[in-house]
Amino acid sequence: MKKIEAIIKPFKLDDVKEALSEIGIYGMTVTEVNGYGRQKGHKEIYRGAEYVVDFVPKIKVEIVVSDERADETVETVRNAANSGKIGDGKIFVLPVEQVIRVRTGETGTEAL
Amino acid sequence: MDKLDTDILIKKRETLIKQFLCGEESGFLEKHACVLDEYFFTMFEKSISAKKMTIAGDPFAIIALGGYGRKEQCIHSDIDLLILFEKTVPPEVEAFVQELLYPLWDARFEVGYAVRNINECLEMAFERFDILTTILDARFICGASLIYTAFMEQFRSDLSARHLKDTLNYLFEHGEKRHFDFGDSTYLIAPDLKSGFGGLRDYHTLLWYAKIKSGIKTRRDLEYYGFLSHFEYLTLEDSLYDIWKIRNFLHHITKRKCDTLHFEYQKKLAGLLGYRSKNRQPDVERFLGNLHKRMDFLKQINQITFEDIIANCRIKKGTAEPRPTKTDGLVIKKRRLYFANTVVILQKPDLLLKIFLESGHRKIPLSIEARRIVNEFLHLVDDDIKKDPACIKIFKKILSLSYWEFNVLNVMLATGILEKFIPEFSAIVNKIQYNHYHLFPVDKHSIRCLQIINSFKEPGKSLINTLYSSIFKEVRNKNVLLFAALLHDIGKSDPAKEHSKTGAKIAKPILERFGFNATQIEDAVFLIENHLILVKTATRRDISDEETAVYMANKIGKIRLLRMLYLLTVADSKATGPKAWNDWTENLIKDLFLKTIGILKKGELASKKTQRLIDKKKSDVLKLLKERWRKDEINSQLESMSRRYLVYVPAQSIVDHINLYRNLGDKDFIWQISKENDSDIRTVSICGKDTPGLYSKIAGVFFLNDLDIVASQAYSLGEEHILDIFKVKPPKDRIFEKEKWKKAENDLVHAIKDDHFLDNALNKISGTIRVSSGRHPEPNRVRIDNETSSFFTIIEVFTYDFPGLLFSITNALYRNQTNVNVAMVATKVDQVIDIFYIRSLENDAKIETEQGLTQIKNAILNSLPQITAKEVKNEKN
Repeated sequence: MKKIEAIIKPFKLDDVKEALSEIGIYGMTVTEVNGYGRQKGHKEIYRGAEYVVDFVPKIKVEIVVSDERADETVETVRNAANSGKIGDGKIFVLPVEQVIRVRTGETGTEAL
Repeated sequence: MDKLDTDILIKKRETLIKQFLCGEESGFLEKHACVLDEYFFTMFEKSISAKKMTIAGDPFAIIALGGYGRKEQCIHSDIDLLILFEKTVPPEVEAFVQELLYPLWDARFEVGYAVRNINECLEMAFERFDILTTILDARFICGASLIYTAFMEQFRSDLSARHLKDTLNYLFEHGEKRHFDFGDSTYLIAPDLKSGFGGLRDYHTLLWYAKIKSGIKTRRDLEYYGFLSHFEYLTLEDSLYDIWKIRNFLHHITKRKCDTLHFEYQKKLAGLLGYRSKNRQPDVERFLGNLHKRMDFLKQINQITFEDIIANCRIKKGTAEPRPTKTDGLVIKKRRLYFANTVVILQKPDLLLKIFLESGHRKIPLSIEARRIVNEFLHLVDDDIKKDPACIKIFKKILSLSYWEFNVLNVMLATGILEKFIPEFSAIVNKIQYNHYHLFPVDKHSIRCLQIINSFKEPGKSLINTLYSSIFKEVRNKNVLLFAALLHDIGKSDPAKEHSKTGAKIAKPILERFGFNATQIEDAVFLIENHLILVKTATRRDISDEETAVYMANKIGKIRLLRMLYLLTVADSKATGPKAWNDWTENLIKDLFLKTIGILKKGELASKKTQRLIDKKKSDVLKLLKERWRKDEINSQLESMSRRYLVYVPAQSIVDHINLYRNLGDKDFIWQISKENDSDIRTVSICGKDTPGLYSKIAGVFFLNDLDIVASQAYSLGEEHILDIFKVKPPKDRIFEKEKWKKAENDLVHAIKDDHFLDNALNKISGTIRVSSGRHPEPNRVRIDNETSSFFTIIEVFTYDFPGLLFSITNALYRNQTNVNVAMVATKVDQVIDIFYIRSLENDAKIETEQGLTQIKNAILNSLPQITAKEVKNEKN
């Protein structure tokens, strides 16, 4: 199994969710995160006072899928989150050792 | 033998619970306690070890404590027992406890017990408040009743003789701490039926207080001893009935002592308790609405208790009585507001309103008595009062005096006078929205929202709060904003419709009634209708794109509206709950606000004038294209173009661009050269794929081919394309003009492929220029404006025209890792002002660092030739 972590722009979340549901993936964890990378923060000025935005607001989407579905999922997320611009985000793919469903105790892909 | 008795107990209890679940629940709590009593009674009778102890001279009493003592035994409530001996506790008691309690434990009853003698018990009671309160509820079950009576007498006399003040203090402080720990439970997504604010504990506390103060025996005595009015007592009974019922069902479905009404049980319970969806309002929302109403009442009970404690027993020495009120008909006693008498209200019904103004103004709460009177005299608030300008003024003033710490409006809501003044408000009172998002019922949420706006009056402690307070200062008519806040969710009364639109409709007549003028009404209605737009836009559109802010600026149109809308948005989100508001959202919305206000202030892209200009241009384009059948397609194409482009590019060029774009296909670029009627200038319209440095390369190719650029504009189309216009002087060799253009086109194809194709051309630009004007030449100047736009670094270059000028500057920009998104280049005689809107190629944002800005400035200055005046040369000659 693989865990796919995608850091995307906030307004792309709906697109990503929709694209994933089109390939039959409904379960995901979504978190509001702050990013700091090549796309640095910026400052705005109001009435002479500077308001610095250090971090760039991003959304983190986490999905765990079986090995066979990993490539397809990554591709789907990438296409949906892509606007061709800097700051479109990154996708990380991590191996997952085990998944256990708390209620039933099912393990592995059964528990996904 | 004991197995049998436990079986009887279990059976009786099961029958009782079954009856309860079927709806025959009358007196369930008491019956439940009695069934348990019977068990203990039988066990005591049968017990040999009990007899042995009694015979040995160690009689004892079995006493019920806590909820069991009050005969308020819910399905899975703990059973608290005290086995009380007079002096010594014999070791045999262990065997008795085994006989008595093991079977219960085996049957999974939650039994807690203590074995003590009278002195131990008294000592512990005055040491630990939780023990003391359980003893206040103590009830004799069986055994030696004399021991129980002796103990209780001693307890009572000790309490009143030595521990009264401490106990009441403790009761007071413990209550405050509990509310601090558990929070405002009625409004949590998972309310705590027992310990939360508005939970059963609030009723227990009143009961304990009454027991301590007046030695009352039962709940009924609360009215008889004057702790509650008759009406309050009845409401208390109803509230307890409902909450106990919910608690029992909750115990039943969770199969344990669970007092927190978790989100996942709420729907199921609504069904079990017989709530049905009505008028499109889901059953669960109706269920929770009723629960909140009940818990709200227990909160009032809590206030009654604590006011009584303060008024009667706990006046701190040294706190001076506040100065008397100047309002006739009101008096202040013990830091509480009272009506002087009830007759005066009949004569001056506006006192019903003035008392709240006084309260908010002086931050002195209404006494419970005054609240009761307001509630009972509500019928005096008739149309005359409601239309009286003086009363309206008072009402508006009260709105600005409601704070989180001192909440006049909530008291107005609780007494019913708010609904009397704004009857439309009734529809959202205790209106629950069943989801993880909304923490508060709509009425409380609206009041909270208004309070948060009032809190912006205070100078902010953090940078962001300073922003809110400085914006708040700039809001001219605060009443418009406060009314919008109070009414922003008024449309939620009808769940089927979009609440902002409905709300705007409902709010309009209310605002008229309150005497706002046409503009103010328009503003408030706009705020209500659009109160979600900032949040929606911030989360659903790319806020780093200028068009998003331009869209927002056009939608809102006025700076004063944007300011109010921003504060309303912040307050609304903050008042909703932690899911709607956190640093992340705060940053996002702040960013959108600052960017939008930037656009509005500049007015270039968002004003009525530009809107008219753009509308006219759009219709001109449609006329020029003569393709009426493709109107929709063309319109959507025009929508996708940036407003800056639509403002500055003439209609004919837009038409050219649309045609070029249609024919672009796979090509990197495509251009069209047109000749204007009588002038000797060619207009080159270019559409192409946006690649870094393209603009610079086009300028370079023109220079290479001796095509002198007179003016130029550059824009982007969406994310991937560019639309440029160049005005150039035609090649000197007119006969082969077509061939010349063909060659230039070929050169551009090469230049796009080969980044260094134009390097040689760069060297051909001369190092000095001689200025022909008579006066002293101005030196080259580069001005960087990093404040006007939130999206671009704006660079203005002042110099004299020379061949290759544009190429020289834009090449410097490109080689310094920036992209020209917008360019406006014009020549006046030989003086040039070129303006470039650039973004960094590295992170597609404006250049933020000083170092980066200096670097670009120097690079441009270095790319310009030195300027010398002709006179200087003449002098030399």
